Amino acid sequence: MDLSTNLQMLTTGLAMGSIYGLVALGFVLIFNAVNVVNFAQGEFVMVPAFVAVWLMEVFHVPYPLLYLITVVFMGAFGIAFQRIAYYPLRNRTFLPVVISTIGVSIFLKNGAQIVFGAEPKLMQRPTPPDALNVFGVFIDPQFIVIILCTLALLVFQHFFFEKTKLGKMMQATAQDKEMARLLGIRVAKMIAITFAYSSILGAAAGILVGPIFYVAKEMGGMLGLKAFCSTIVGGFGNVPGAILGGLFLGVVEVFAAYYISSAYRDGFAFIILILVLLVRPQGFFGEKIAEKA
Amino acid sequence: MLNVEGIETWYGAIQALKGISLDVEQGEIVALLGANGAGKSTTIKTITGMLKPSKGKIDFQGRGIVGWEVEDIAEAGIACVPEGRHIFPGLSVIDNLILGTTPRKNSSKADIDRDMERVFHLFPPLKEFKDRLGWQLSGGQQQMLAIGRGLMSAAKLLLLDEPSLGLAPVLVQEVFKVINEINKAGTTILLVEQNARMALLIANRGYVLETGRLTLTDTAANLLANEEMKAHYLGAHAHVKEARQRRREAGRSKANSSRE
Amino acid sequence: MCMNPRRVKPLLFVVLALGVLVFPKVVSSSYWMNLTNLAISFSIACLGLNIVLGYAGQLSLAQAAFWGVGAYTSAILTTRLGMPVWTGMIAAFFVAAFFGVVLGIPTLKLSGHYLAMATIGFGIILQLILINAIWLTGGSDGITKIPSPWIGSLELKDPNAFFYVAAVSLLLFTWAAIRLKGSRVGRAFMAIRENEMAAETTGVDSTYYKIMAFALSAGYAGFGGWLFAHSASHYISPDTFSFEQSVMLLAMAVLGGNGSAMGAIVGAVLLTLLPEVLRFLKDSYMMVYAAGIVLVMIFMPGGIASLVKALKVSHRLAEWWNAGSAVTQEIAGVASAGNGSGPSKFPATVADGPRSNGALLTVKGLAKHFGGLRAVDGVDMEVRRGEIQALIGPNGSGKTTILNMLSGLYVPTAGEIVLDGVMVTGQKPHVITTHGLARTFQNIRLFGELSVLDNVFIGQHCHSRAGLVPSVFRPPSQQAEETRMRKKALELLKFVGLRGKELAQAKSLPYGQQRLLELARALASDPKLLLLDEPAAGLNANETEALVELLFQIRDQGVTILLVEHDMSLVMNVSDHITVLNFGRKIAEGSAEAIEGNQEVINAYLGAEVGNA
Repeated sequence: MDLSTNLQMLTTGLAMGSIYGLVALGFVLIFNAVNVVNFAQGEFVMVPAFVAVWLMEVFHVPYPLLYLITVVFMGAFGIAFQRIAYYPLRNRTFLPVVISTIGVSIFLKNGAQIVFGAEPKLMQRPTPPDALNVFGVFIDPQFIVIILCTLALLVFQHFFFEKTKLGKMMQATAQDKEMARLLGIRVAKMIAITFAYSSILGAAAGILVGPIFYVAKEMGGMLGLKAFCSTIVGGFGNVPGAILGGLFLGVVEVFAAYYISSAYRDGFAFIILILVLLVRPQGFFGEKIAEKA
Repeated sequence: MLNVEGIETWYGAIQALKGISLDVEQGEIVALLGANGAGKSTTIKTITGMLKPSKGKIDFQGRGIVGWEVEDIAEAGIACVPEGRHIFPGLSVIDNLILGTTPRKNSSKADIDRDMERVFHLFPPLKEFKDRLGWQLSGGQQQMLAIGRGLMSAAKLLLLDEPSLGLAPVLVQEVFKVINEINKAGTTILLVEQNARMALLIANRGYVLETGRLTLTDTAANLLANEEMKAHYLGAHAHVKEARQRRREAGRSKANSSRE
Repeated sequence: MCMNPRRVKPLLFVVLALGVLVFPKVVSSSYWMNLTNLAISFSIACLGLNIVLGYAGQLSLAQAAFWGVGAYTSAILTTRLGMPVWTGMIAAFFVAAFFGVVLGIPTLKLSGHYLAMATIGFGIILQLILINAIWLTGGSDGITKIPSPWIGSLELKDPNAFFYVAAVSLLLFTWAAIRLKGSRVGRAFMAIRENEMAAETTGVDSTYYKIMAFALSAGYAGFGGWLFAHSASHYISPDTFSFEQSVMLLAMAVLGGNGSAMGAIVGAVLLTLLPEVLRFLKDSYMMVYAAGIVLVMIFMPGGIASLVKALKVSHRLAEWWNAGSAVTQEIAGVASAGNGSGPSKFPATVADGPRSNGALLTVKGLAKHFGGLRAVDGVDMEVRRGEIQALIGPNGSGKTTILNMLSGLYVPTAGEIVLDGVMVTGQKPHVITTHGLARTFQNIRLFGELSVLDNVFIGQHCHSRAGLVPSVFRPPSQQAEETRMRKKALELLKFVGLRGKELAQAKSLPYGQQRLLELARALASDPKLLLLDEPAAGLNANETEALVELLFQIRDQGVTILLVEHDMSLVMNVSDHITVLNFGRKIAEGSAEAIEGNQEVINAYLGAEVGNA
């Protein structure tokens, strides 16, 4: 129960929470743009992780270039995903779309296994493996990198969405698609960019978290589900809600695993989810949506 | 400038427009009136391309625009301020206005700045609250923002759908004053309104829609004076009154017979 | 077609029975028999999923967890406590059903992806419990040496022997599911799926039926789990009962065709046997399977069942099969009797209470605030028995909000509503319906996928009683009730002019007829007060005329009508009394003439002259 252990766990929690937040953000952006819940979002983390490992092992690409290629690849991947998996289903009702994204998720998982092999892979760390001593607390430097990179990404995103015209056009598309069209905003292009950016967020998450876990086909599954929980807990459809929800879940998970039960570690996110759905279904930051008669 | 002919539009399974033809000449304010559900908004949506008509044609400055994408029609010079304002709630006043400039091509920053100043001049509260987010504005301010945003596109034809909806009477007066000024400055306007009187006071001509058909068209002055207008709005047509009278008489005899 | 379907049905039964007896002889290897038993286990779980998702429209991704609960319940009881396997079977069903209720209650208000996520979470938590409650479940090691069932002195250890148990179970559960669909409970489920709001206002207690659907589907899955535990390797472990397995069950149900019991079985069999057939694909099997799912969703979202239904052969087969049924004969009977013209009466059991001109509905101080917006701001109203009253006012004046409060969809912020002496303020919609109120909707809320006849059947829900057990077993009392309801439904349809369309799908009707159907459905609950929300919207002149006639006939039979309308000609024509709203307040009321000449009303509609422009 000492402070140092708690601080250590807090850092771990914030790091994992950042990852959840990044994936949750990707979710939310797609949902806001096209009203689709993308059950394959976790695979948007798994695929770039595999690609990065492959580039590392086979081509020995140095780090900065490695990340660049992975990010660009995922951007293209996102656009392809939109064309193949979303576009044909854009007018369908809820159930076929959900099942379709689940199908894509399974496809990607097994596809990755075939292309990259069944063994889990180890992604080399860009940071040294020794824990850093920060004010008496021993912290894995990769965690610090995760938190800092996520912050940097959020700053960049804030700048992009708030200060550039393209960013504003994308916000407008998410807030009111029909009105955006009436103003001449090319909504189809905005949607494609949204998918691309969402995939890039996945790339960031995959690269950041890859060195900590084994890179395996199952890597994205639980991650995606927990990120989904984050968006609901934080307030569905809400950008700050996604990040904060992710951080909250990440931290609670670590502490609950230590103090309550580590066996049920994976379950805490869902317990919180169900509690939130019972007590405040719109999440911490969300707004109530009532059906109009 | 705008020539609509024989438009038929379906809303799902309902035929909302059953053959509409109207014109808007350059520099005019034309009012499109009618009771709720008559098809006024459907007409606007058909012109902007949101709905595709099953029959008929629409010519804008000589070009047929039926079947065009919404974004292309906006770029051609038709701006729309739809019913319910639809300002972007999460963006600031300035951002909303800047997005209004999207369809413009070949405009310099100076042009855009000048137009924004003009909007601020027409709607002083917008200048005061220029950094406020859309959802923080009152209903009236949102309406001003929506119209201002429409102006920022330097459109040749401005479609206004129910600008007075939900506004207090004093604000309605303001808004119509501004609409008049905009028109005097050179923008052609097609105005859809439930508040027929206010609309006709500033319009040149008017069309009256009733369940998907145009039943009355005349100059604004004539329409204002026309007692028939009341019938179109309040269902006080002669044939309705007759039916009621007949029924009352039948009811009297029926009541008599049922008592036996 | 010379064969009478009535004679064919028992023949079909004999064929099925023979098939079951003969099947193990045909399939010689125990490997394939075990696979068949597995497919049957999945099929029953899928049938369950079909009930909660296909019939009731609730997306549950926890089906594998219930399957596991059933398996574990029986395994624990039979291995630890030495109970007979048949006891385990009953326990498996009911314990799983109990967990279904546990899931159903907190998720009542959820739908769509919220519901999906909650069920996923529930399933994952259950699996974690199975892994970690080692004292109970043995943890990851699982439970081994699960016994086989015994019949007398015969141990059903052999897969062939077990097959008989499995096959008979499948037949029974399928029969029950099919019976359920065509019954009062099944219709209630489907009403909720099609349009929960309309189901509630039509008198269906959606809370009760949703929980029932979850319980039933979990029970089915639990039974499937029992089959799984006591066959094949006689071993279970938590890994089997995962989210991925729930996804697989969902894929089976959807591939077969959501809403079709036979489809659920076909889907389950296909996806259980497919890996065997596609063995040559080795590792790519899953990818092909996943790609297949996506393609099916894109091109055939209704699954195999929809494909089969679309075939011409199926149509003729269905027609021939139905030709002998009671339904068709009755429809023909009603049609031939009374081809007369003129207004017909519709069957109404409106109590002949005092036909005084007292107030049927009294509203005092009714208000609804949405945050700062006062949609309705203190309205007093009275609707007198036997009159047609119209509620009018410009856009946003609060008319529909008032209707929603009267029918229970909104809880009023203030005020009280009294219907025929009963205080109904804030009650749930289905309760208000039992007190004698029915409504139609501005945007037409029909149960689109159901037949015209079924829509009107559901209208009678609150005046019928058959519960779950009678719905499946159909004792004479239930059959009599169905006959009574059918007769009334047919007459109501004749009354509104939809004779001949009874078996058509509701959403296939042209717009005007859909409005008539909604009216018939509302009348089916024997309302004292009928609320109509823009009944003439979208109707052409002829249809509006016909509607006016109908309204008068309905009024003449003692039903009071309150309608919201924009078509002023209709309003002026039809109303005995008019109430006018503006900005959430009542600004005038009176007869048509009074309202026509009322300056405030004229201003509200035509617009006041405000200042000088």
